[in-house]
This record gives sequence, C-alpha cells and structure tokens, in this order.
Amino acid sequence: MEIPILSLIVLIPFLFSVLTLLTKNKEQARAVALLSSVVVLTLTVYMYLNFDSNTAQMQFQEFAQWVPSLGINYQLGIDGISMPLVLLNAIVIPFLILFTWNDEKNHSNRFYALLLATQGAVIGVFVSLDFFLFYVFWELTLVPLFFMVSIWGGPAKHKAAIKFFIYTHVGSLVMLLGIFALYFTAWKQTGTPNMNIEHLLSQFQFISDGLSRNLIFLALLFGFLVKIPSFPFHSWLPDAYVEAPTAGSVLFVLLKIGGYGLFRVSLPLLPFTPSMDLMVTVMAALGSVSILYGAFLALAQRDLKRMVAYSSISHMGYVTLGAAGLVSLSVSGAMFQQFSHGLIMSIMFMSCGVINRATGTRIINDLGGLAGKMPKLAVIMMLAFMASLGLPGLTGFIAEFMVLTFTYINQPTYVIIAILAVIITAAYHLWAMQRTMFGVYNQKFGVLKDISASQTFSMAIIALLILYFGLNPSPVLNMMITNSEKLVSLLAVTGV
Amino acid sequence: MVDLTLLTPELTLVGTGLVVLSIGLFLNTNAKKILSYLASLGILASLVLVLTNLGNGGMLFNETLSFDALSQFFKIVFLSVALLVSIASIKYTEGNSHTEEFYSLLIFATVGMMFVASANDLIVLFVAFELASLATYALAGFEKKNPLSLEASMKYFMIGALSAALMLFGISFIYGATGTTSIPGVAENINILLGSPIGLLSVVLMIAGLGFKIALVPFHMWAPDTYQGSPSVVSSLLAAGSKKMGFVAAFKVFMVGLIALQAEWTTAFALLAVITMTLGNIVALSQNSVKRMLAYSSVAQAGYITMSFVVMSKTALAGAILYALSHGFMKAGAFIATAAVIYMVLSEKKDSEMPDHIDNFRGLGKRMPITALCMTIFLFALAGIPLTAGYMSKFVLFASTIEAGLVWLAVIAILNSAISLFYYARVVKYMYFLSSEGEKIAEPVPYTVAMIIAAIFVLAIGFWSEPFIYWAMEAAKVLI
Repeated sequence: MEIPILSLIVLIPFLFSVLTLLTKNKEQARAVALLSSVVVLTLTVYMYLNFDSNTAQMQFQEFAQWVPSLGINYQLGIDGISMPLVLLNAIVIPFLILFTWNDEKNHSNRFYALLLATQGAVIGVFVSLDFFLFYVFWELTLVPLFFMVSIWGGPAKHKAAIKFFIYTHVGSLVMLLGIFALYFTAWKQTGTPNMNIEHLLSQFQFISDGLSRNLIFLALLFGFLVKIPSFPFHSWLPDAYVEAPTAGSVLFVLLKIGGYGLFRVSLPLLPFTPSMDLMVTVMAALGSVSILYGAFLALAQRDLKRMVAYSSISHMGYVTLGAAGLVSLSVSGAMFQQFSHGLIMSIMFMSCGVINRATGTRIINDLGGLAGKMPKLAVIMMLAFMASLGLPGLTGFIAEFMVLTFTYINQPTYVIIAILAVIITAAYHLWAMQRTMFGVYNQKFGVLKDISASQTFSMAIIALLILYFGLNPSPVLNMMITNSEKLVSLLAVTGV
Repeated sequence: MVDLTLLTPELTLVGTGLVVLSIGLFLNTNAKKILSYLASLGILASLVLVLTNLGNGGMLFNETLSFDALSQFFKIVFLSVALLVSIASIKYTEGNSHTEEFYSLLIFATVGMMFVASANDLIVLFVAFELASLATYALAGFEKKNPLSLEASMKYFMIGALSAALMLFGISFIYGATGTTSIPGVAENINILLGSPIGLLSVVLMIAGLGFKIALVPFHMWAPDTYQGSPSVVSSLLAAGSKKMGFVAAFKVFMVGLIALQAEWTTAFALLAVITMTLGNIVALSQNSVKRMLAYSSVAQAGYITMSFVVMSKTALAGAILYALSHGFMKAGAFIATAAVIYMVLSEKKDSEMPDHIDNFRGLGKRMPITALCMTIFLFALAGIPLTAGYMSKFVLFASTIEAGLVWLAVIAILNSAISLFYYARVVKYMYFLSSEGEKIAEPVPYTVAMIIAAIFVLAIGFWSEPFIYWAMEAAKVLI
C-alpha cells in the first residue's frame, strides 16, 4: 500500500498541534512544533521529487467515503496549481518556528499549537478535492488566526481580530451560497449528490439559466477576492497584518487560499459564464486598481509594518490581474507571484518584527542607520526589498514581468495602469529602506544587537530561496505552466 | 389485549418518576442524593429501550399513538436532553429537600414530550403537551425564594395557559369542520376547511398556540425572562427539550394534518422565520447576561428551524430534524456550562446580583478549563463553525433552501449566521482573553460529566454525520 502522503501532511500538523498543547513549557512546545514541521517538509519534498510536472492531472489521490447520502467524500489530490503552494507552506513554517525560537515574549505552547493548526488547515485547503472538505478547511484557517491575533497581537488586536473574522467569514458564507447552488443544480442534473470539485465544475456548463451561472460565479469570486484580498475588500488586511504578532503576519502571508480558489474554481468556470467578458474586465480592473491603490497607500505609511501590509495588497493585485490575462503565461505568472510573494513577505514581516523588537518602534521616521548596527539584518532585508520591488534575478521580477507582459495581450489598458504603479513601488521600497537602514543612526536606541543566529539562519535560507527561484524558476514554474495551459485550453474550446 | 412493548420506554419513565417521588417521602435530605442517581438511571434505561426498539414501528390505542422513525428520533432528542439535565442536576439539587419533586417533574415533563412525539391525534397531542408544560411551569419556579425564578415561572405559566387555550380553540375548529381529531383523519377530511375562513382561523390559532412554545417572534416575549430566571438546568430543559416538543407538534399538525392548507401557512411561516432569526440575533448582540443571550440565540435558532416549513422538502425537514437533535446537545450543553459557572459564582459570593453576567466568565479558561473548553465547543457549534453538529445541521438546512430556489431566504439565514458569530465569539473572548484574579476552581463533577457527554455528541454529529443524517432523512420520510 502506498503511503497516504497528503493525509499525513494535513493531519500531522493537527495531531502535533494537540500534542503541543499537552507540553509543559515553551521549550518542549517549540521542539514538538519544529519536529512536526520538519516531518511535513520532508514528506512534501519527497512528494515533490516524485511529482510529475508534465501532467495537469491530479496526483497522489486519496479517497474515502464520508457522508455518502450527501455525496461528501474525503478526497485529496495535488496538481501543479497546489503543489507550489503546499511547498511554500512546508518550507516556510519550519523556518518560522526557528525564527521564533528565542523570542522571549510569552510564546507559550498555545502559540505553537495555533501555528501548526493553521498550517494543517491551509494545506488542507490546497489538497482537498471535495468542496465540502475544501470549505471545512477554508473556515478552519480562520479560527487559529483569529486567536493568534487576539492573544498575541498589538494594541488594537481585538478590533483587528474581529474585523478580520467577520470580513472573511461573510466572504466565505457568500462563497458557501455559491457552492450550494452549484451542488444542488448538479444534483438535479445528474440525479446523484456529489461534492467533488471537478465534478461540480464540469456540471456548471449545463446549468440552463444564464443568470444563475453568473450569480454562482460571482458568489464564488467574491469569497476568493475577500481572502486575496483585492480592492475594494481589502480593508481587513492592514489591521490584521499589522496587529498580528510577527509569526501571525507570516502565517497570513502564507494564507494563499484566495488566489488558489481563483485558479482552482473561478478560471475553469469562467468560459461558461454568460457575461464572461464583463467578469474578466472586473477581475482585471480590480487587479490593476489593487496594484496601483495599494502602492499609493504604501507610499503614505509612516509605520514600516503597515507599509509592508499595503505593499502586500499591491502585490496580490498581480495575482488577480494575471488570472484575468487568460494566457497560459500570464496565469502561470500569477501563480508564481503567489509563491514568490509568500517567500518575500515572510522575510519582510520578519524584518519588521526584528526591528520593532530591537528599537521599540516601527515608525520609519524614527529609524535610521540600522545597517551599521545590524548588518546581517540589513543584507537580508535589502534582498527582500529588492525582490519585492521587482529587481531582475529575484522571484518578484519573474512573476511581475510575466503577468504584465502576457496580460498585455488581452488587457492592455489595465496593464498600463498597473505599470504606473511600478514606479511608485520602487519609490516606497527604496525610500523606506533608505530611511530605516541608512542615514543617521538615531542615538536614543543605544547599542543594538544584530539578529540572533536562529533568526539569521531562517531568514537567510528563505532569502537564498528567493535568489534561487529568481535565477531558476523552472522547478515550480514548469508545473504551473502545465496547469495553466490546461486552464487556458478550456477557453480555447469555447472559442474565446 | 394491547401489546405494550412499544410503550416500554414511557412506562419505564413513569415508573421511575413515581418511585422517585414516593421514596423521597421517607428519606431525609442528605440521603436524597440517591434519588438523582436513580432518576438518571431510569432515563438512561428508557433511552436504551428506545434505541434497541428503533426498528419496531406501529400504532397503539386505536391509532392515537404512532411509533415511527420521526417519533423515535424526537424521543431520543428528549431523552438525551433529559439525561444531560438530570446528570447536571445531581449537583444542583444537592442538599435540597425537594429533590424528589424536581426529578419527578423532570421525568413527567419528559414523558409528556415523548407522548407528543408519538401523538397521532389532536387530543392526545394536547394532553401530552399540557403534561409536559405543567411540569415545566413548576420546574421554572423551583427556586421558590428567588423572585426571578418566580417571575419566570409566572410569566411562563400565564403565556403557556393562553397559548394552550388558543391551541385548544384551534383544535375545536378543526374538529368541528372535519369531524375527527385524528391527525391523518383531518388531512383526509380537509376539504371543508379549504378556502373557508374557518380554515384560516384554525391555522392562525394553531400557529399562535404552537408559536408560543417554539418562541417565534412575536410570541417570544416570555422566553428571555423565563430562561434567565429559571434555574439554569431547567432553562436547559426548556430550550433544548420543550422547544423541540413544540416543533414536533407543529410538524405533525401542519405537515400532516393541515398540509392541504399549505398555501395559507407557508407565507406566515416564511415571515415568522425571517423575523424570528433576525430579531433573535440582533437582540442577542447586546446582552450581558449569558443566559439571556442564550435565550435570544435560542429564539434565533428556532427561526432557522422554522425555515423548513417554508421549504417543505425532504432535505429541509431532514435538516430541521437534525438541527433539533444538534440544538438539543448544543443548547443543553451551553446552559449546563452556564449553570456550572453560576454554581461557582454563588459558592464564592452568596448574594451575587446577576451570577450569569458575562464578567463572571472572565478568565474562565484558566479557572475552569474543562467548562471553558466545552462552552467554547457549544458556542462554536451554535455559531456553525465546521466539524461541529451546528455546522452540519445548518449545512443541510440552508442548502435545502437553495435547492428549493429560495435564495433570498438562504441569504438572510446566512447573514444571520454571520451576525450570531459576533456574540458567541464575545463569550469565548471573555473566557480566554480577559484575565481575572480568581483562582482555579475544582469543577463540580456532575456538571462536567454532562458537559463532556454533550460535547462529545456535538463533535460526533459534526465529524461522523452519515448515520445521523440517514436517521434524520428516515424521520423526514414520515412527514413527506
């Protein structure tokens, strides 16, 4: 019998999450958490090595009946859309745990339990092939993050946690409506209930009522856009990202389920949506506005972490825009942006956390000249900032270049809007870097220690990955291209 | 000779009730603890009997009692709730000289509910309804030195008496027009009521009469006061058990008896469902008394279940029936957890003004870890967080509205569900995020046992839903 590898990478974090709760102190908890994440990473790497990038089919499938009378099954699988995202999660989490290793702040066993639970839920979303299971994991990601923000967050944590919860909960409920509608119409058409995602997506085209098809598409899209988040549903993000503890912000960054839903669900439905052109325009417009608006907002921030949070909105705009590009390379660029953004933002938020801990402030104007005192941090942070603003040779460039170039084929107007943002993006990154790392050192901070060995190690590894995938993206990009070709071929069939 | 095997669960309960009552006369107060164990055992035995006889169906006493999947399902709901309440009350009645009365009333109320579930005749239904109601009126006022409890009982009794009168009035019209009180008989002879003002009148009277018990807005006024004032274990029985009795009665009267008048009552129920859930949720937002909050949440949940009268499909009914079971465990559990907190508060400070104030839940995660954990499970289940019973039931019920094309209803229900999260999460926040100076407390065992059983079922229905959904579907088939 084959090892049920997908079940393992989903269940191990949950299991260890319970185990960490049983530990007596922080030392045991972090060791258990690290063990769990290393096992998950090993399994994921093993899976990755046995993964066939040349097929768009689901691989490593698992199946078990769950609620047969409603057609709900426990069904897992992985393909080129989900593999890179699972990989991203599996890679970053162990280093995130190492990063928090000597964090003297009260990171108790509950903290690590929540961290692992989030990892399990997020991976669960990526590998679920059953809509019910998908939704269960989707909702489960909310709970640990909610607690993480409200227990260890900053001064306005309660407001941020509730805002995040309500906002995204409403988003997912609307998505649930869409799932219900899809499920029941498919049930009526085929006579048997079935919650399988691929089955439901393939039944979508047979819904005779055009209005229902539009509404179903919009309901699902809404759920994803809130999660990404895209303008105008982004207002939960700055609060949640900023108030969350550093590890929480990184977990938010790894929460790529919104963009994933776009590729897994929205794109396959798109060709059969009656108002397809309108929907594509809406997506492209929201994407480019997110890019531009997010960049302007980032430019206006005084708080470094808040700036990074807004830059995140701007970067996630590329995902929506690339998906609306409807060319295989623009779509794979968007997928690559998710992967790249996860890596880059992890370092950016870690840097914000370190600076805040060392100096007690994140206000850009109060900082300055940190490079002299914290050279290791400066090097790594510099690399992340450069990657974030799109310097060639790093992952951010590849993703954004692909999105902009290939989306231009179908959506020239919106690409031009987005290109305006490139200048602003460069501006706020360089400006922030210059004012925090260089310039005159603010003497009131006294003597600053550079980042600890475990922090350096974990940040450096992620930084090296940014460089590696920036120079050689093919290990993840190939499978993305395989799957985007399949997604786009659907469009060709319907004659778009 | 009538074969009474089908009736053994009820007979066992009646026997236990009488034995508990009569033995209690001869025991001194300290020894009365044994009665609570005896009563719990009796209820458990009855539950086991129902479970072992699931396959057997049939009619008794000139077809006035029917034993089918629906009645058995609801009997399981009532007995489970009664068992939880009875276990939790072991602590509550400790050292009380009226223990035997408490338990016999609890048992007779349960018997009444079980007969309602089996009733196939309007008169039997009414009598059983009253048996359950009279017992619960007395239970609500069990703390006879506590003015709040007396107020609760008084209000509940007045309104209950009025609603009983309305219901009886409605039954008399139905009887007058159709010439029978048998529920299937009414359905057969319904023609005369069709399109006549008497038909409309009887529908209105029945909705009002049953609406009081279910606590549909605008017939809900008594519920918050009664749930808040009654002893928490009794509130648990009222919200989780007695309310479900209202539903099973309504299912029988409307979906079997008055099905031909559907056009008259669907719109009414649609309106009532929407108003009930919305008002319940919105008012619950601003409550500081946890029991009152749970009472309004209970009103809101009744609104969800009422949606099944509007959708009227097999899935919807299965959802509603499953919801009744889930809500039984969730709400009973939540009230029992509150009871444990109140017990703690009162044992620290005898004359506490409002022992269920949300401030008393501060730091509960540290002070009473098991209670806090179970309460969190119940609250998340009530809010409909996945992998809990609440989610599964909402899933089936809400999904059925989409199936029937009633998207507007689904949207309202889902938005309500999102609102409700707010006040449930607030209690969780108090329990885990706000600290209190109090020390850790030894949690009273009976409450803990009852809560853990309820929590296990809440999670089991959420995780391992297939058998429960199958049961609910079977039960729904009886109606449609």
